[in-house]
Amino acid sequence: MNIGGIELVKIRENLWEIPATGKMRVPGRIYISRDMIEKGLKDDEALKQVVNVAHLPGIEKYSLAMPDIHWGYGFPIGGVAATNLDEGVISPGGVGYDINCGVRLATTNLEHERIKNRIDELVSKLFNAIPTGVGASGAIKKLSTNDLKKVLTKGSVWAVENDLGTPSDVEFTEETGTLKNADTDAVSKRAFERGADQVGTLGSGNHFLEVDVVEEIYDAKVAEVFGMFKGQIVVQIHTGSRGLGYQVCDDYLKVLLQASNKYGFKLPDKQLACAPIKSKEGQDYLAAMQAAANFAWNNRQVIMHLAKNVFKETFGMKDSELGFRLVYDVCHNIAKIEKHKIGKEEKEVCVHRKGATRAFPPNSKMIPEKYQGVGQPVLIPGDMGRYSYVTVGTEKAMEETFGSSCHGAGRNLSRTKALKNAKGRDLIEELKQKGIVIQAKGYKTIAEEMPGAYKDVSDVVEVMHKEGITRKVAKIKPVGVIKG
Amino acid sequence: MSKNYKFIDHTADIAVKLEGSTLEEMFNAGAEAWLVSVLEKNNLKADDLLDIDIIANSKEELLVSFLNELNFLLSTKKWLCLSIQSIKIFEDSKGCEVSAELNGVTVKKNLQLKQEIKSVTYHQMAIVKKRNIYSTRVVFDI
Repeated sequence: MNIGGIELVKIRENLWEIPATGKMRVPGRIYISRDMIEKGLKDDEALKQVVNVAHLPGIEKYSLAMPDIHWGYGFPIGGVAATNLDEGVISPGGVGYDINCGVRLATTNLEHERIKNRIDELVSKLFNAIPTGVGASGAIKKLSTNDLKKVLTKGSVWAVENDLGTPSDVEFTEETGTLKNADTDAVSKRAFERGADQVGTLGSGNHFLEVDVVEEIYDAKVAEVFGMFKGQIVVQIHTGSRGLGYQVCDDYLKVLLQASNKYGFKLPDKQLACAPIKSKEGQDYLAAMQAAANFAWNNRQVIMHLAKNVFKETFGMKDSELGFRLVYDVCHNIAKIEKHKIGKEEKEVCVHRKGATRAFPPNSKMIPEKYQGVGQPVLIPGDMGRYSYVTVGTEKAMEETFGSSCHGAGRNLSRTKALKNAKGRDLIEELKQKGIVIQAKGYKTIAEEMPGAYKDVSDVVEVMHKEGITRKVAKIKPVGVIKG
Repeated sequence: MSKNYKFIDHTADIAVKLEGSTLEEMFNAGAEAWLVSVLEKNNLKADDLLDIDIIANSKEELLVSFLNELNFLLSTKKWLCLSIQSIKIFEDSKGCEVSAELNGVTVKKNLQLKQEIKSVTYHQMAIVKKRNIYSTRVVFDI
């Protein structure tokens, strides 16, 4: 198949390869169905971006893309690339502006059937407790520079030390909520300024907090280990490192554009600016990016704590009765040093995941003891009118995708087209008819984020399930949504 | 004055084409496109003047830094640039510099902004001069 001049060779039903041509160092590989290519990639720059990523110095095996691939900048959204630590590079274009944007899922002892008449009240209280929208601030008191430094170094451990979480929350967070080599000296004063009052805030755009109900269980054994049952109320939080992360990315793009010239890299897109991982520029970016990632974990932790308090207050329950427990927190915009098998040997590589989720298998030392027998929970949010999925990582992900899977549905319509489609409709009422209560800062966000603006996440999840990269565990459906 | 910017349909973010008979005019168009992207209705009146001075290694980097400065002022100082009073761009073999006087206003905390621009990106940006018109495409990450 040829899409916009790019040759795609079918490897398996849902796996396509772009052969290495020109200065590509490796081939490209995309996990996607023929139908999704024809519907979604024909008028898109995303395939070209898979090709561009294949030019990065030190890239190993393939420039990969997950089925939610779409046009980003630098890497495509859904892009995964591992670079070796000897001559390989690190690129902010492989992480994105919202460093450690991610998702967490918490379960409760509540059953939807018993509280369905109180969702309105719950959503309204959640909306009041958690700042949303553009430049949202003030969830907790504005942090001093010293406190913010602690957040950047400790990640969600800071929240636990400040009574905004429990040790168990940290245990069930990717990297236990802290990347250890974060260096606050690598983070600019401007980034500190942008982050100081944004701890515990959702922000705008596609970020959300959802109250969901478990609609379907596909794998009873794994669901039981994750603590999930049909009809259960669960909570999903999607946000990232807010202004602090955006500023870190801005700051280091400038540094790495210079570094790309210095090291003589000829790159097809400026947004792929990079530096050797071992260089000072590369190490500085890595340290600053880790600090921003820690901010994001702490952010989601604080939001979850605020949400838990709202649940306790609304239903007049104690912790033990409510059973609010974090299943897992995953990031989907990150670069991390991980061990992977390259050829016959296992070696350390820098795995860039830009709109892709880590999906580690059973027995991985990197996942909580409780999940050793089943694998890592991989959380795939959909849109606010349909459903999201809980899936689990497999050994095949380690063999083929550097332990990575998809991260969401991906947009189908531009915001302008979504607004056009929403004209004359009452989306709040439409969602209400489907049993979903929504509260947002502005109606425009609801229109831009309307269900039809997104692809069907089940198509995305199905590709990874059929290819054995991640297996479906449960489907959850929104009943309450708050957005910016 | 006719608009020197035109929004281009983009699935996930905001893409805009900027033009100008001078670099200054094109930067001004960038500031206008940025304002239209962050503010729903512009019924605000400028009551403040702010000087900015930015240096960069290339024209592209200068444009990104200039527009990101507007973003930074809004997100940290709650200071919204409504128009540009004066702007001058200098270029030599070592790099380039923009000096500008911005007209703006400190916005109230409850002002409903249209959307958050996370950053102005370098993606697909290339400033070219054809038939005495400068132009480039800019993508705002939202």
